[in-house]
Amino acid sequence: MIIQTIAFYVFAAFVVGSAFMVISARNPVHSVLFLILAFFNSAGLFVLLGAEFLAMILVIVYVGAVAVLFLFVVMMLDINFVRLREGFLQYLPIGASVGLLLLVEMILVVGVLATSPDTVAVAAAPTPDITVVSNTEALGALLYTKYVYLFQSAGLILLVAMIGAIVLAHRVRPGVRKQSISAQVSRTRAEGVELKKVKTGDGI
Amino acid sequence: MADLWANYIVPGLWILLQVLVVVVPLLIAVAYFTWFERKVMAAMHLRMGPNVVGPWGLLQPFADAVKMFVKETILPTSANKIVFLIAPVLTFVLALVAWAVIPFGEGLVVSDINVGILYLFAISSLGVYGIIMAGWASNSRYAFLGALRSAAQMVSYEVSIGFVMITVLMVVGSLNLSDIVMAQQKVWFVIPLLPMAVVFFISALAETNRVPFDLPEAESELVAGYQVEYSAMTFGLLFMGENANLILMSGLTVILFLGGWLPPLDIAPFTWIPGPIWFLSKIVVMLFVFIWIRATFPRYRYDQLMRLGWKVFLPLSMFWVVLTGGVLIAFDLVP
Amino acid sequence: MAELPNLIPAIPELLLAASALVLLLFGAFRGDTSTRTISWATVGVMALAAVFIISGPSDGVQTFAGMFVADGFGVFMKLLILLGSGLTIILSLGYLRDHGMERFEYPILILLATLGMMMMVAAADLISLYVGLELQSLSLYVLASFRRDSERSTEAGLKYFVLGALASGILLYGASLVYGFTGSTNFDAIAANIAAQEHGASVGVLFGLAFLTAGLAFKVAAVPFHMWTPDVYEGAPTPVTAFFSVAPKIAAFALFVRVMMGPFGGLAADWSQIIVVLSATSMVLGAFAAIGQRNIKRMMAYSSIGLIGFALMGLAAATPEGIQGLILYMTLYLAMNIGAWAIILNMRRGSSLVENIDDLSGLAKNQPMMAAAMAIFMFSLAGIPPLAGFFAKFYVLLAALDAGLYTLAVIGVLSAVVGSFYYLRIIKLMYFDEPAEKFTAPTREVGLIITAAAVFTLLFFLFPAPFVAEAELAANALFR
Repeated sequence: MIIQTIAFYVFAAFVVGSAFMVISARNPVHSVLFLILAFFNSAGLFVLLGAEFLAMILVIVYVGAVAVLFLFVVMMLDINFVRLREGFLQYLPIGASVGLLLLVEMILVVGVLATSPDTVAVAAAPTPDITVVSNTEALGALLYTKYVYLFQSAGLILLVAMIGAIVLAHRVRPGVRKQSISAQVSRTRAEGVELKKVKTGDGI
Repeated sequence: MADLWANYIVPGLWILLQVLVVVVPLLIAVAYFTWFERKVMAAMHLRMGPNVVGPWGLLQPFADAVKMFVKETILPTSANKIVFLIAPVLTFVLALVAWAVIPFGEGLVVSDINVGILYLFAISSLGVYGIIMAGWASNSRYAFLGALRSAAQMVSYEVSIGFVMITVLMVVGSLNLSDIVMAQQKVWFVIPLLPMAVVFFISALAETNRVPFDLPEAESELVAGYQVEYSAMTFGLLFMGENANLILMSGLTVILFLGGWLPPLDIAPFTWIPGPIWFLSKIVVMLFVFIWIRATFPRYRYDQLMRLGWKVFLPLSMFWVVLTGGVLIAFDLVP
Repeated sequence: MAELPNLIPAIPELLLAASALVLLLFGAFRGDTSTRTISWATVGVMALAAVFIISGPSDGVQTFAGMFVADGFGVFMKLLILLGSGLTIILSLGYLRDHGMERFEYPILILLATLGMMMMVAAADLISLYVGLELQSLSLYVLASFRRDSERSTEAGLKYFVLGALASGILLYGASLVYGFTGSTNFDAIAANIAAQEHGASVGVLFGLAFLTAGLAFKVAAVPFHMWTPDVYEGAPTPVTAFFSVAPKIAAFALFVRVMMGPFGGLAADWSQIIVVLSATSMVLGAFAAIGQRNIKRMMAYSSIGLIGFALMGLAAATPEGIQGLILYMTLYLAMNIGAWAIILNMRRGSSLVENIDDLSGLAKNQPMMAAAMAIFMFSLAGIPPLAGFFAKFYVLLAALDAGLYTLAVIGVLSAVVGSFYYLRIIKLMYFDEPAEKFTAPTREVGLIITAAAVFTLLFFLFPAPFVAEAELAANALFR
């Protein structure tokens, strides 16, 4: 058990530390790299919880795909993030008050939970017992049966997001030469070659 | 005190031993892969290849290693030093940790976790960071261009690799690599899933930045891409990481499609040879194919590469996922 | 092998989803020239879905593990939504052609938004509610900035997106609180849990309810969550604005009613006060802010805020009569608004659209028929008897009085009087001012829609009975 405890604190410390560095690093690329570190360590925390499937998916999806594109954009765009941050303090009062409000509510909610333990009893139990099936199987069994409606609807939402991105951002630029493989392949000899009879001594 | 020994130190040492048993031969294999590559390429070009250091040039990798160690590590002045140094280490470490879940034989695996294939996929998707970081931190145009190319390329081909893996694990019904191998006792998956095997192999070429998809390090246009500013051992680490990845990808192809440590037929002369030998020899064959391709194919153009990934492999692999699922349901073969 | 869920109640939704995918593929292969074909195909699919809805179950049958419900209320609201969406697609055709916006994604996005709305209406679970809402909102964000080369359109889209995402966040926060304290996201289970509490619902549930209400109020654009409406209405392409003002409003209202009357029906005394405040402020702000507007789209935005306030009055009553009034209100609102927007869409000279109220001056001399139709809609929106708008207001006011909300009813009547000022001003402009330049004649489809809407608005008082009966049936479905 002691190893798990040590591992937990190491991962947790790294998550918190790198999350802090994400917002305090001067260089945006460093911010993204710290974000990746934070993702990676949260995946470690998932493993400690026994949710190895989620851990791997977190790394594959967030670190392997989302953060790469993020890094891409940050590297390519030459945004002056220092200037962007200048207004940071200006919004601090609003941000802090919203944060405070949420904090008060959270305390209230946790307080109610603590004072009336009967509310805890209504919490849903994990549907398939995780000691019996692996969590990959358990997730699949829930997602594709009970939650199939939501699963498919979420797919539709992603489809809309994709259509939206294409509609709003994709432009057909005129004058760009593209390879058209079908045109290349379907070219006949007659189109490409022309035979001219050249008279001797006259040139072309 | 005895408790501490029994519960922590002895298991810890045992794990360490297992790791060493995997890593040390791996490093030697990486070194000799360079020799193998040069020799095979030379033979195909009708040259001699390395033949001065040791018999048949067998000591050449060690000579190279010594050279790497004694050379000076140059840090470009405008480089982002920390990231510049982390990048090769990251590449190298990732190439090594992936081997933790590779089964060399029945039960011969450092860590037999039940999401093994996802673990490998996750590690290989992390590999792109080593390259991006190297390219960005070098603060050089060639390096950066190479890094961007490589990141786009790896992310693109990872998608179809993911779908191929899904097909395989649908057939097997498990994410565990040993289970995947054991499921091929009757027939290797390369036969029923041949198109997926081809897609996987070609995507593996792209994923490891090998010819004909070596645009990130195309020496004729980008000098050496993201490695251009690296020297001595930092370069050595990048290079070794890359080659270890190549061997890993061969290993993965063998596990997913070529029956891992299983003999081709479960009859007498084949079964005399132990599983790990089968596994390693299959890897060598795969590596030979990699080198063979390098010696024969010209480089892809970048738009062709992207077209192949997104417009050919992605629909094809998605179609096969659906088809495989349909076949499994229709003939009631769901594991 | 698990059993398939009962798909029969969800056939209309499945039809829309499947045809959206098919049409998307068709468009991707055929290119933007197929926009017209796809638009008409979309309208056809919606009509088919309406047939399925009418012939489908309406007895409150649940499916997909209690996430989806098909009841009388849902049937009525879904039909309204389909009607609104279908008509706006037809209205958009001319505009899309004139402004070089003929892109095949447009009808498909409307189709997907409609699907999201129908999912919202059919939701019987907090998660399916959210998923439907998100599907609808995301499509609407894209539609708002569909004219991507126009700065105002992209601004409208961005504004809508940012504020909409904030509202979704608030709604989700509320939903998570409700889930945490009742232990379920299912509407029935939440209602049962709240009913089982001895000394009223816990603070957590009430907090969650407040957040949910705020999120939903944003979606229907009730004051004080209305800030986005005028800008989005003004900036978005006009047919999109017409769409915004009809179908999503109805859907958001249906959702509002379903959430309030379903899981939180037992807490009506608690949330009714919130709704009363939302309703009163919306009516007052809608009436006064619209007076100063020069742009007809902005004016219609404020007018819709005021109308939303009226509809909320029915919800505040929290009685079957109130809900019946609300349903009837939304039905008539659909007819009046579609007609008014059809005319606004036709305020064009050559092929460019004009949006100023002054451009309508003297319309009666140039195009008497159009002016007459507009006059009918404006009188109706102002609530002059015997037009449809009067009945709409009448039923909700009656319900509010029945429920003892006298102050709210008085505020409603007064703001209706103030509001009639700007509606009547348009009529005055059209009939008594010097004629401005002539508008281009409407296309056949648009003319037909204007005529139908005008006739319906004008003659509603002759045959209100079937609508009232249907609305009563729909409202009663919520009170079983």
